[in-house]
Amino acid sequence: MPSPEGAPLPFTLQPLAQFSPASNSRTWLTAPHPRLPIVATASSDKTVRIYSLTSFKLLNTVSGGHKRSIRTCAWKPGLKGESVLATGSFDASAGIWRRWDDNAGINDDNGEPLDFTSSGKRNDDSEDDDEDDEWRFAVILDGHESEVKSVAWSAGGQYLATCSRDKSVWIWEEMEDDNFETIAVLQEHEGDVKSVAWHPQEDLLASSSYDDTIRLYKEDMDDWTCIAILNGHDATVWTVDFEPADVSSLTAEDGDPTKSAWLVEKVKAGPRLISCSDDLTVRVWRRRPKEKTDPNPGQSRMPSIIKTGSIEEDWYEEARLPQHHERAVYSVSWSKATGRVVTTGSDGKIVVYAEQWRKPSAEKPQDVNMDSDNPHIADTEWAVIAEIEGGHDEYEINHATWCRRRDKGKRSEDEEVVITTGDQGDVKAWTLEN
Amino acid sequence: GLFDGLVPSYSYWNDPFEPAVSSDSEDDDTAEVIDEQEVFDLISTISDPEHPLSLGSLAVVNLPDIHIKHPTSPRSPISTVLVEITPTITHCSLATVIGLGVRVRLEQSLPPRFRVDVRIKEGTHSSAESVNKQLGDKERVAAALENGTLMGVLRKMLSTCE
Repeated sequence: MPSPEGAPLPFTLQPLAQFSPASNSRTWLTAPHPRLPIVATASSDKTVRIYSLTSFKLLNTVSGGHKRSIRTCAWKPGLKGESVLATGSFDASAGIWRRWDDNAGINDDNGEPLDFTSSGKRNDDSEDDDEDDEWRFAVILDGHESEVKSVAWSAGGQYLATCSRDKSVWIWEEMEDDNFETIAVLQEHEGDVKSVAWHPQEDLLASSSYDDTIRLYKEDMDDWTCIAILNGHDATVWTVDFEPADVSSLTAEDGDPTKSAWLVEKVKAGPRLISCSDDLTVRVWRRRPKEKTDPNPGQSRMPSIIKTGSIEEDWYEEARLPQHHERAVYSVSWSKATGRVVTTGSDGKIVVYAEQWRKPSAEKPQDVNMDSDNPHIADTEWAVIAEIEGGHDEYEINHATWCRRRDKGKRSEDEEVVITTGDQGDVKAWTLEN
Repeated sequence: GLFDGLVPSYSYWNDPFEPAVSSDSEDDDTAEVIDEQEVFDLISTISDPEHPLSLGSLAVVNLPDIHIKHPTSPRSPISTVLVEITPTITHCSLATVIGLGVRVRLEQSLPPRFRVDVRIKEGTHSSAESVNKQLGDKERVAAALENGTLMGVLRKMLSTCE
């Protein structure tokens, strides 16, 4: 498919499947399970639909816990034998749902059918064998004053973050079974908080807002505190997502020392953050690594002005992705497998980007990337590699995410599909073809 | 919550108050041409939430302030309609509700290929920026439509659009 400029793009997005049956009202977001071949779709009909990634069929409809639209959901990572789903609703609450995997009727990662007769982990006093009831609404998390917009588990599953139109971000910790304690209420934003995301390696939380900013938080002496404000977007920042750890989209195999230097710097800075906005831009943010603290502070002649214990971090806008969207960009997702990025939004476009080494001859933009003026360090640029218009026909697309491909047609173990979720209730899977 | 009993039980997005304009069309393959006058006719009969008068007669909505943009590329199915509303007074506290009424009316009546943008006409309201931001926020609009009290107000405003 040609790009808007007429040059052909290296890949096309091909429809693989539409999950069925679809919800008959707006769907907001689809979350792939971290381990099982299933996804959960949050719908405005107050349900979550669990679909199979192998058959693309509906497995369960989870309902009964929320009084209004379910806006978002997220799977707790790091569990074995049990699945835990957090939901966030316009009814101002978050919900926690549980199910033992041995009743799920789906294949685990090893490809072996699960043993349906095994019930060792299930409570013996459970009399309910109705498949739809196997999702147990475990606990409701009350506290927000208005619609919950986004929920996110920390990488290890220890913390759950929720955010709301009430301008606050809450962090919850499960102390014992189904007993969640509020460990922080962060009221930094001046408007609705639209999304929350955790750093993949550190207990570092990011939030994006109607106030056009992104804020980062860390725990400091038992108190969660704002450690950075990222200014730059000119309108609501709909979604933030961290770069996955250990993703290796770029290498210095040609032995170019400037590329090796770039990779070393990248490791020092750690995973980056990406954001998408009503201002139509998609931006990559990077942490400026802290200077090493003086190894011999007692011998220092000059007292250091910089508080060595300061928890504040310095993040800057490293890059802007090519602007292909014509209306609000609602969703951005960073691939764990390839480092590629997919965005979607109100214009119904699905756009895939890849980071690549900047050709030495290419002009460097003046307004961004101030940290890489060093000629000894290579530079990168983002290019659009695939794009489709009207991905859900004439409807808006609310969410796009990368997901491991699990159906029989998969071409490799780590092949990914893009899953998109739209206003008409449709959830679709797409493959990248070259 | 307080308003739960008032929330309409139907799903708004799929059970609009009246059939979409496109459903009259026998030929769904060809996008019918919708012009500014047609859009004006759809919204001019909306009642003001405070007065027994229509938005057209109060000159809150005006034909020259309606702008339709057709798809920007042959592959794009998306058209946009921008309506700039003129509140009766610059401090009108109901500007957001009026704007929401216009947006809801058009989203119900126009084919889904239309993206509806409702904004305050420049220089006619003291907090236009904040009203515009709210009216442009899909999530806020969706949540507002699940608010029974607000839906009651909107239904009353739109009841004169027959």
